[in-house]
Amino acid sequence: MARLRDQLVRFIAALRAAGVRISVAESIDAMNAVAAVGLERARMHEALAAALIKDEADRATFDESFNRFFAAPRANRGEHPEQRGEQVSAGAGRDRPGEEPFALPRDDALANPRDEKSLSLASEAKPAKKAAAARRQDTEKGKDAEESKDGQRHSDRMRGRQEHRAADTPEESPTPGIDATRVARIRAIERMPFDKFSDLDYDEARDALAPLIRRFRIRLGRRLRLARTGRIDFRRTIRAALQRGGALIDLNFRARRPRHVDLVILADISGSVRYAAQLMLELMAGARGCFRRVSSFVYVDHLAEADFEDGHLVMTPALDLYARSDFGRVLGELWERRTGLLTRGTIVVIMGDGRNNRLPARADLVREIVRACRAVVWLNPEDPARWGTGDSAIKQYAREVNAIVPSRNLRELQVALAAIA
Amino acid sequence: MMLTREQISDGLKRARYVTNERVETAIFLALALEKPLLIEGPAGAGKTEVAKVIAEILHTELIRLQCYEGLDEARALYEWNYQKQLLRMQAGEQQGLRWEELSEHIFSRDYLLERPLLKAITAPSRVVLLIDEIDKADEEFEAFLLELLSDFQITVSELGTLKAHERPAVILTSNRARELSEALRRRCLHLFIDFPGAEQERKIIELKVPELDAKLAAEAARFVSAIRKLGLRKPPSIAETLDWAHALVRLGVRELDTDAVRTALGVLLKHEDDRAKVESKASALAPRTR
Repeated sequence: MARLRDQLVRFIAALRAAGVRISVAESIDAMNAVAAVGLERARMHEALAAALIKDEADRATFDESFNRFFAAPRANRGEHPEQRGEQVSAGAGRDRPGEEPFALPRDDALANPRDEKSLSLASEAKPAKKAAAARRQDTEKGKDAEESKDGQRHSDRMRGRQEHRAADTPEESPTPGIDATRVARIRAIERMPFDKFSDLDYDEARDALAPLIRRFRIRLGRRLRLARTGRIDFRRTIRAALQRGGALIDLNFRARRPRHVDLVILADISGSVRYAAQLMLELMAGARGCFRRVSSFVYVDHLAEADFEDGHLVMTPALDLYARSDFGRVLGELWERRTGLLTRGTIVVIMGDGRNNRLPARADLVREIVRACRAVVWLNPEDPARWGTGDSAIKQYAREVNAIVPSRNLRELQVALAAIA
Repeated sequence: MMLTREQISDGLKRARYVTNERVETAIFLALALEKPLLIEGPAGAGKTEVAKVIAEILHTELIRLQCYEGLDEARALYEWNYQKQLLRMQAGEQQGLRWEELSEHIFSRDYLLERPLLKAITAPSRVVLLIDEIDKADEEFEAFLLELLSDFQITVSELGTLKAHERPAVILTSNRARELSEALRRRCLHLFIDFPGAEQERKIIELKVPELDAKLAAEAARFVSAIRKLGLRKPPSIAETLDWAHALVRLGVRELDTDAVRTALGVLLKHEDDRAKVESKASALAPRTR
């Protein structure tokens, strides 16, 4: 049993290396789980999954590692002198009675079940290489393999494989569900840096945005609802007190009014940071109700009002997306429109990389704006290592604003925005 | 009572719950290791049903805590029965009792209103505790659950710590409205239940709607499993499939052709755009076209 324990420990280590988070308590659970269900392969598979995998998105990784570590038991495999030699040298606990041994990692166990289809296609296409390929392959049909010299062995193995697969796959369960793959995709896209985005990724990120917006809104809203101070709601308090014989035990408070925060968002939609800016605008559009007023602007070389209609960015006036960005001029335009827009209750959120094509940076205007407003926060989708290189004027702006936060992917963006609000 | 793996299998069959190796193993482990079981999956895939079935297998009571935003300890754990306490105090005053004597009385178990969690912990025999839709509760509540889930004990400030005589079988379900904390996940075994495949769904239909013709049941199952892949706003749940099967029986449908699909689609789809989407593809999806 000690061997199995070691094998399990190695298996868990491999999962951790593959990025699955597993605590010590969970690994103990896994041992207990195996002790409870026994060593029958399919059951052990599900038992380990239940104890170790807490996120369906990790399931594919788990299945792949499991197949690599715990190959099918020998009873289901064809017995061959050559193979036996291999297995003895592999040293599975063969002579221990009552224990169904596992073989150690083997070539064929490494084959990812997902690849099977492509592999079998390949084998049909190149019959000449078939004999050599047969050792590594795991094809479902063995009819042409029988013609070759080691065909018998191959088909034997095949039968064993099929049996084990039949036992392993009760009906149609193991393929991760639609929901799981979606969750995995959302997780991946949340961590993907904006500068690696393509149009396709952007579309996918927009899909992922819907649950994010909901979560974001709930997060902002809850703080307002869970008011423990403020004005007492007299009616509700008295009603609650009536139940308790008139003793004012619980005070009920009026929900806090939305904070007097006006948000002015300024987003660069030139090529370099387009995706980040659009996603941010959409995220904030969803959380509009949590602020008193939100004004969104986009800019390249001019300022334009932005709005979201049915998920499409609408700007007035239209901007030339391929113009050279000029944030200095944009700041000037914003400053001209300051009356009624920039007040003591305004938080200005600027999203951009501060790459100004070596045009005047006008950092002095940023200082003026900081003075007029409650705060100015700069979100930079660029890697901090590249700030201030080349035509980036971000260092000049950074000195003036209240905070500058890197937001390289959706996750960081969310955290940054929640902190502002 | 310790159940073997086979007993669980039999029990599930007897409770008419169609399932697979994965679900059975997870249920068995949750009972054998006395660990909470966290079940995730799309809405309507049969998560809550698992808890009901376990209660049936164990021949015990199911205690259900439905989570919602703003759920607090008073609703989930316990609350003092203020009215009763007040009455007792007034009665005590007339008898001339001193405060010490009085407070001993009014802070005893008699004046405690047990909410689901406390009820599950103090139950004399093993019960099944279903914490439904934990993702709808606030994060604070989730943190509060941790003590219960790892040690099966609850602290009531006036009474001290109450420990479970018999550890309840705890089932948590989540629809992923928000991400659950790692701490909670760590304390639970995990099970993901997805929609069943066509074959499994056919079995479910045959079991629950035996009036439906077997051939029609297979076609219905295939149809539902096909429209779930269309990326609808709300894919039909198993319960809705069963409603639909009932509807087909009532409508006296003999063959699942385009018209038959159209007539009862409202049972299956609850959004207008979903309906439009499926109707536009009905001829391609229906097993038989006229």
